[in-house]
This record gives sequence, structure tokens and C-alpha cells, in this order.
Amino acid sequence: MSATNARGGEICADVDLQVELAGIPLRNPVLTASGTFGYGTEFAPFLDLRRIGGFVAKSLTLEPRRGNPPPRIAEAPSGMLNAISLENVGVDAFVREKLPALPEGVVVIASIFETEIDRYAEVAKRLSGVSRVAGLELNASCPHVKSGGIEFGQNPAVLATLVRAVRRATTAPLLVKLSPNVTDIREMARVCEGEGADGLSLINSVQALEVDVERRRPVLSNVLGGLSGPAIRPIALRMVWQARSAVKLPICGMGGIASAEDAIKFLLCGATAVQVGTQNYLEPSAAGAVVDGIRAYCARHGVRRVADLVGALETKRP
Amino acid sequence: MIPIRTLAEVVALSAEGASSYRLTLRIDGWPGFEPGQFAMLSPGPQGAAPRSDPLLPRPMAVYREQRAKGAAEIEILFKRHGRGTALLAACSPGDRVAVVGPLGRGFELPAGRALLVAGGTGIASVYELAARLHARAPGSARVLLGARSAGDLMGVADFETLGAPLEIATEDGSLGTKGLVTALLEVALARDAEAAVFACGPTAMMRRCAEIAEARGAACSASLENPMACGFGVCLGCAAPLRAGGFALVCRDGPVFDARAVAWEGLP
Repeated sequence: MSATNARGGEICADVDLQVELAGIPLRNPVLTASGTFGYGTEFAPFLDLRRIGGFVAKSLTLEPRRGNPPPRIAEAPSGMLNAISLENVGVDAFVREKLPALPEGVVVIASIFETEIDRYAEVAKRLSGVSRVAGLELNASCPHVKSGGIEFGQNPAVLATLVRAVRRATTAPLLVKLSPNVTDIREMARVCEGEGADGLSLINSVQALEVDVERRRPVLSNVLGGLSGPAIRPIALRMVWQARSAVKLPICGMGGIASAEDAIKFLLCGATAVQVGTQNYLEPSAAGAVVDGIRAYCARHGVRRVADLVGALETKRP
Repeated sequence: MIPIRTLAEVVALSAEGASSYRLTLRIDGWPGFEPGQFAMLSPGPQGAAPRSDPLLPRPMAVYREQRAKGAAEIEILFKRHGRGTALLAACSPGDRVAVVGPLGRGFELPAGRALLVAGGTGIASVYELAARLHARAPGSARVLLGARSAGDLMGVADFETLGAPLEIATEDGSLGTKGLVTALLEVALARDAEAAVFACGPTAMMRRCAEIAEARGAACSASLENPMACGFGVCLGCAAPLRAGGFALVCRDGPVFDARAVAWEGLP
């Protein structure tokens, strides 16, 4: 027995959710975003990590680092600001203690974050050849001290030098996570493609400021923070769509994904896979629900392979 | 206790004192909780279209519970002071509230006598501790409650029913001794320097409790409050500075800390 949906497509029970992102095979296109998912084990009570495509671990630096003093977070309309800074256990403790604690079959992408280019390359080198690490995500949103504190990802020449150095340091699949705080995301996407990146992750949080009027002070001790959550989703969709038009690199899309519907918007705009971020805080099983919802959407619309949705946004007027 | 994430059902919402609320939630699969643990609450609507504004759940102490075959009812006492608590205060029976909990490390039960000091909404964190200590050895826990005014107190009738020794201080003198609850602690600790102190309330109150206890050489545990997005150690938003340097997470390493370990001047 077969049924048809509103557009005349056959509704199929079996949907192929597998995708390949930058050379990394994923059982489905739903990952979780760096900085919102700890080192994975924190979610064990809420979500079987083997249900999702994989996760991107908290960004790693060469040495363990302490973060900013409180307050570190602030609520904003449909979103939140955070300024945690570089707090993490360091790359060696991650490999030694955090990775072995994860169940077999969980796809782990390691995120790297540093203040100098040679240090970025060293973190990449230490993660290369680690069997549990499926790929690297280069977080280019760190302030670059030698450029006067602007983010690596805000200057095309600095970004090019960074991607080149990390590309030389590793043969692992390399995604570059771009900063949205730029004039033209297409220019940054082309730089990454030219320097041998295997894919792009976008977007990182949007630089923002929140104010306590009673105290006439910024809410965050760091003054500035990164805005995340549903508030930034349309901005993220726009940037994914623009980057898709500029480069052939596969894109992992993120920014305010709270539901399967949100994730499908990113796929349609050209993302091969997506990352669920801030939603993990309030709904720690969210990524699993997004997988189920994508499967149901595909079945309802007669889509046999989720990969067929990638870039399927129709922009011509009927 | 392994935490769960589920949609709880509002059983009742009632006024508590003049300015607070008592929320009763029915939760399937609730695993129970230890005194001082908390839960993250997001009022509905939930499901297909999760609420995005306000986005973050609110950490709330679990006040007490009643368990029966797989399901449980928990009570939450809270004050309305922002958008999240306003939504909770607008709940009706049958509404859904997303709950993640129980979370955090609660109070460690002392071997001997205890002085429980709580101010304002901090009262909600110490009822279960008082109940367990009183059940173990009646009279071993003395409860000191404080608030600005009588109407700002919560749970007083429950503490009276419990029967543990109870003293009250209000800043305006409308109930009990006029003044701060920390003054009651000074007197109580002078009488019984062997007692362990357990404090929950405004930061300034807990800091003063820590000083009083330290001066008398008494142990003091304090349950801290800090804004947090997740409640289980991943957003890293709820950092509390430590005297030894660095930070602890209120949600994962606390909310209950040895008061001597906390760098009180660094708390926001």
C-alpha cells in the first residue's frame, strides 16, 4: 500500500538519512555544536549519542584554561549572550581522559581554538591520528592579539594564514567555523576553499552587548559576548545561503536550531549537515528530536535521501 | 540520582505568603532528590514549537516531594521577579512545564546538630534538609528563617508542622524578632558552638553566615545561586570564584559549597 502526499510524492517508510560532511560519513545530518555539548558524557542521562550524527566537543587549547569571572551569561530576546572565554581541559587531557569515556560508535569532531597561529597548528597536530577523532573544526572566532584583538576570521589575510598553517599540520578532515561578524561571508568562505579546508561551519555566535540600566553597567564581566539562540537563525540562514553560492565546500549550518523544521531550513539553504547548539541547554535531548523530525518530514514529503534536500531552496518565482 | 528531562503536569498553583507562589508538579519517572538539589523549569507551551522567549529555563530548589508508584509530585516555592517566574506564576492546573532534574550536589547531612539559616526564597532549599534531620533525631536541627517582612516568608506553616525548633526574624519586625536572621545565628551559635551551619539566601546573608561560623570554628555549608543556562555543567555560565583560585560551577560542583572555599567578594 502506498499513500501520496500533498505534492504527489510517494510517502516512503525508509528514509536514507546518511550524509558525508567534508569526508566524514555521518549516520544522519544532525550534530551538536561546540561549547554547547561539553565533552559529550554530560548528556548521557538525556540522549543516546549514537542516535545523532555526531558532536563537536568544547574547543580545545594547548594548555587547560580558566574562563572569565562571572557574570558569564545573559538572557536576550529569544537568545542568550555568553562570554565564557577559553575555559577547557586542554588538548592532552581531552585525548587521555575525555575521549575514552565516550561509547564506541559516537562520531567526535574536535574543535580547536588558540591565540596564536603556531599554537593552533600544534593543537591540530596533537589531534591528528587520534583514532576517535573523526575530524577537526577550526574555530576562527578567537581574538588575534597580533592583529590588535580582531578575530582571526575577520581579516581575510589572517584567516588565510591560519587555515594554511592548520592544513599543513593535519591530514584530518578540516572544517573551518567562520565568524559572522564580517562584511561579506563569501570572501571568507573563498579564502578557506583556497587554503585547502574540507568544509565550513557557520555561523559562530554574533558579537553583542547587553546592559543593566539600574547599575549602568554591562551585564557581562567581559562587556561583550556572543549572541546565540533562535534570535540569530535568520542571519545564519542568510550566511549559509550566501556561502553556498560562493564555494563548492560542504557546509555545516548552525544558529538557533531548536526543531527539525529549523534544521530543514538550513539543509534547504545549502547545508549538508547541521549543528544544534543553545537548544541543548534547555532541552538536552533536542538533537535526537531533530533527527526524528527530519525523518518524519522526509517520509511525509516523499524524500528518499535527506541529501536530496541540500540546497533545494527554490528562489525562482513560480 | 540520575536526572531526567520530561514534561511535568501542573497539579496546583497557589499563593504562598503575600508575595510568593507554591507550584505542585506531577512528574512521571521522577527519581527522587537529595536535600539542596534543584531542577531547571521551563513553562510551556512545549513540544512541536518550544518556547523561544524567554529562552532559558529557571533553576529552582526542589522544596519537597510526595512519591507514589512511578510518579511523584514535587513542590517548588518561588517569588515572581522576572519574565520566567511570571510565566510560572501564570500556570494553571493541566499546563505543562519542562523539567530537567534533580541536579547538583546538595547538602551533606551532618553527624551531629545543625543550624539551618535561610533568607527569602532560600527557605525553599532547606525544608527537606530540616525534615530529614528532624526525622533522624528530633530536635537536632534548629531552623532560623528570615525575610524583609512577614509576607515575604514562605513555608512557615510546613516548618511548624514539622516540629523542628523554629525561630523567625523579619527586618520590619512584623513577625518574630526584628532584624536580620544572621543575628539569630550569632546567638544560636554562641549557645551551641558544636552545631554545623547550613545557609541559603541572598549572597550578603550567606557571606555573613560564613563569617560568623568561621569566627566560632563551626562548619558552614552554603547553597549558592547564579544565573545558568543548562544546570548540568555544559554552558559554564554559573562560575563561582574560589578562595584557592579558579572557579567552580554552581550547577555541577554545587549548589552547596563549603563556605570557606568560596571567594565571596568575587560573586556578582
